[in-house]
Amino acid sequence: MSSATDRLSTVTGRLDQSLQPLADGFNRLFGDYVGELNGLQFVLVFGSLAAVLTAPFWGTFGLVRAMTVAAIWAIFAMSWDIQSGYTGYISFGHSVLSGAAAYTTAMLIHNVDPGLSMAVTIPVSILAALVVGLLIALPSLRLSGPYFSLITFVAVLIFYRLIPSFSAYTGGETGIQSVEVFTYDPIARYYYMIVPMLVVAVALTFIARSNIGLILVSIRENEAAVNAAGIDATKFKIFSFALSSIPMGIGGVLLVHFTGGVDPTTFIAVDRSIEMIAMAVLGGMSSILGPLGGAFFLIVLRDYILTDLANLSSPARWTIFWALVLAVLVFVRDGLFRKLWHGLERYGRGRT
Amino acid sequence: MTNEDNNTAGSNRTGKEIVGRRTFLGATGAAAVTTSLAGCLGGISGGDDDVFRIGHLGPTELEMGLGAERSAQLAVDELNENGGVLGRDVELLSEDTGGSPTEGERVTENLIQQDNVDLLVGTFVSEVTQGIIDFVAEMDVPFLITGSADPDTVTENHGKEYDHYKNVFRTGPINSDLQAEGMAGYAAYLNEEYGWENFSILADDAAWTTSFRDILPTQIEATDGLSVVHEDRMSVETDNFTPFLDDADDADADVVFRFIAHGGAAAFTSTWAQNEYPFALEGVSVPGMSPEFWDATEGACLYETTSQSGAGGVAPLTDRSMDFVDAYEAEYGDEGPPSKPMYMGFNSYDAVLFYAEAAATADTVDYESNLDAIVDAILDLEFTGAAGEVSLYGPDSDYPHDVMETRTEDGIISNFPITQWQPDGDDGVVECVYPQADATADHVEPEWL
Amino acid sequence: MISAVYALIAIGFTMIFGVGGVLNLAHGALIMVGAFAYLALTSTAGMLSLPPVVGFVLAVAITAGASYVLYAGLVSYIEDNIVITFLATVVVALLLTEVIIIRFGASPSQLVPIVSGSITLEAVGTRIRYVELVAFVVSWIAIGLLWYYVTKTDEGRSILATSMSTRGAELTGVDLETVKSRTWLIAGAFAGIAGVFIGTLQSTTPEMWLNPLALAFIIVVIGGIGSIKGSVVAAYLIGYLETASIEILGPSFQGVLSLIVLAAVLLVLPHGLYGRELVHE
Repeated sequence: MSSATDRLSTVTGRLDQSLQPLADGFNRLFGDYVGELNGLQFVLVFGSLAAVLTAPFWGTFGLVRAMTVAAIWAIFAMSWDIQSGYTGYISFGHSVLSGAAAYTTAMLIHNVDPGLSMAVTIPVSILAALVVGLLIALPSLRLSGPYFSLITFVAVLIFYRLIPSFSAYTGGETGIQSVEVFTYDPIARYYYMIVPMLVVAVALTFIARSNIGLILVSIRENEAAVNAAGIDATKFKIFSFALSSIPMGIGGVLLVHFTGGVDPTTFIAVDRSIEMIAMAVLGGMSSILGPLGGAFFLIVLRDYILTDLANLSSPARWTIFWALVLAVLVFVRDGLFRKLWHGLERYGRGRT
Repeated sequence: MTNEDNNTAGSNRTGKEIVGRRTFLGATGAAAVTTSLAGCLGGISGGDDDVFRIGHLGPTELEMGLGAERSAQLAVDELNENGGVLGRDVELLSEDTGGSPTEGERVTENLIQQDNVDLLVGTFVSEVTQGIIDFVAEMDVPFLITGSADPDTVTENHGKEYDHYKNVFRTGPINSDLQAEGMAGYAAYLNEEYGWENFSILADDAAWTTSFRDILPTQIEATDGLSVVHEDRMSVETDNFTPFLDDADDADADVVFRFIAHGGAAAFTSTWAQNEYPFALEGVSVPGMSPEFWDATEGACLYETTSQSGAGGVAPLTDRSMDFVDAYEAEYGDEGPPSKPMYMGFNSYDAVLFYAEAAATADTVDYESNLDAIVDAILDLEFTGAAGEVSLYGPDSDYPHDVMETRTEDGIISNFPITQWQPDGDDGVVECVYPQADATADHVEPEWL
Repeated sequence: MISAVYALIAIGFTMIFGVGGVLNLAHGALIMVGAFAYLALTSTAGMLSLPPVVGFVLAVAITAGASYVLYAGLVSYIEDNIVITFLATVVVALLLTEVIIIRFGASPSQLVPIVSGSITLEAVGTRIRYVELVAFVVSWIAIGLLWYYVTKTDEGRSILATSMSTRGAELTGVDLETVKSRTWLIAGAFAGIAGVFIGTLQSTTPEMWLNPLALAFIIVVIGGIGSIKGSVVAAYLIGYLETASIEILGPSFQGVLSLIVLAAVLLVLPHGLYGRELVHE
């Protein structure tokens, strides 16, 4: 085992060294903000970036569509991560935040004025996500551990059940379908989703690598110590929830303009929250880019590989999907992409 | 169930493979980044392709959707035996919507943009229909709805922006406004037969029951002597039906019309049967339409009725009905439930043949350039299907592009069959009990009444 | 009446939490296993068509076994990480849903009642099926036996001791693994009993795990995580609230009232009516 590793890393180490100048260039410019990369990691990051940006030029329709959806879910998974992954306060309620934004857009159009421009609805909707986020965070973050998870879980159930109760405004279980889509052109649509995702990814990575991120991780590791150091942990927990609400709102708005409507199952149901968590955990919690990778991995698998390529029926597809998530949870607890990342680190720098 | 799914639909997917592997830009044209795809797709669909592709949408993990998929396949086989559509081979691409709008949108986009289907048929759940309708309207692909009966689908779309939605039609079942009127006719019939006067209406708290909640009470009370003594909505989360049935009992109801589509229907039925509540159980129960419902409820469904387009495949509604059911049983009898096509099966079968006939009249399936000719041919067509006569309302009616109801001389809606589970030794059997013209047996009241 | 069944579910859920600190979100899935096991064994259209009582006993045994397998085969490896366990158990539930759809289809089924028929209570204006009475009696017998077991026998007392203080119990010579295995078996058996009755009185579908789980959740939190007495009291409170919210607010608000009460309890009394401080963090 170890000799195989050695042999592999002599090859990869050399490869890494030849790429190092590129990575060094990057590190000089941005290393202070987002951390330093080695050559292989540089290739991974920028190779994926290039692949993502050029997908419509080489992918099939089904793949591009799956990646479009994945971009939105990547935003959700990353937003969840900056709050739950970093602070260790696991939220089961994040679908409420994106749902709040999407429902705000749809309800403004449906109940107020069908002619409202996106310049109005988009900021209002993102604000709504923030407000709902604070509404959930303020009381529930007093609780700790499983109790916090429980109450966020309950928040989803309450919102989910209230929507049919106010069906005059919310459209009940069929929702509101009168929202304009950005475009039906699948290529333009792809970039409509990918560009905000990249912006969110960069912004959240930057925050996560800053002192704020450090404090959030400290809360997860030892909340008492954080308080003892004179930092108000509760304030930062609430801040992380608010910070997470904004990109959740952005994602919710993208999703509503992608599907052209809202309904409780697509936007609120607790399954959606669980899927976000599954993506983040599969990719690797508290790494921002891990959840991004997790989202692309799971959605491309579910919506493209298992359907378009393998042609499985939906129960079989979901069985494989959940079985895989379970396997990762048990065997690769830190997440696939974190494993990959550290692997590259070892193989790159190990033997120089 | 999964395996059958693959056998029936999967074997007919060769076309998809070819198109699916082409790269995205290859399929859509290199300049597609900013142009609308509809324009680019025109070159591939319709005219210059030798295959007429039909996309079928339905929740195929449910019996309802699977029956519809099989029935559409039967219609396609029938067309191919008779020379196809305008000389082209016909191919069915069936997709599972999973009953979810998201999944419905995904498979619809695939069917239209990747598989270049020339016709869409199906959709059972209203949410799915409403979720895909804007996209389908944008793409101009003819779309025949065969499952969901929500009137909003046409009144809110065609009614407001006819030109945009003119490629969308419903060939069956009749929409739920008309179903409510049909149900009132049935109430009057029950009154004549048994003298029942007090009606209770219990409906799922869901969009599809709106017509039954809003229109049916007035319609019932329009008949002299009939009154609605109890009305309530049941949350789709409800699993304890005793309070609702108790209330109906307290109100001295003779008949409970229940409109129920979710899994609780079986519990509703057995609560009623085990407690021998003193009223008849009528109305619409979507799970109750399953030919396997007798086994699923351990016989508790005895005496309950449901309305269903196609009359459960037991009555010769038209000359075509029994041939279709026989063909279905011969082809799929050994492949597991559903053992009959179910209502969406009837409508999907009819829709495929209906469109083929319209295409023959219009002499084109190229919706890209000749949509108006196709629409005209569809609206002019008077078609006899397995479920009944199919002709559609025109652009200026209340229900544009929706299937017309048929009426008896007295003005009672007649393409609204009701079936009942009746005793057959130790087993149960579905009989069509209404309207009388199509009935295979008399309605029987529960023996405890 | 059905509140007794809910109490059974909640007790199983809370016991597992008590001894292992595990929030078992697959508990609802165990209920589903019970119902479908009974369906497969007794359905008149099925191959076995066993008499209901035999089917009942076997279904309970199967569920208890499934519960043990879940613990020994999965949870025992990951229970040190509360988040992973939380997620893994909910994924197990979702996975089982799909497996059941593949095996039994997505349509609802009704179970053969253990006894059929009903009585009318004129005074109250309602009817009660005999099977509801059976469910009530059986549930209370099970709860009574459990009570006797954990208070009067040494084996049982070791469970109670562990749920009070894991370390304390270990110091007095309790074998933690045995206690946990036993607890999962009991919780599984309770879920099996509940599954058969819920499947009979309500419906047997691949989604049937979610509502009982949500209720168990609510009941356990209100009653206090880890408390058997709290579960029983809260089960009846929730049963009453469910009915009341239909009466007062209308059917479309079903469930909302108990959720709001739950949120209030969590905020005011985070440890529930009979709860205690968390010791397993």
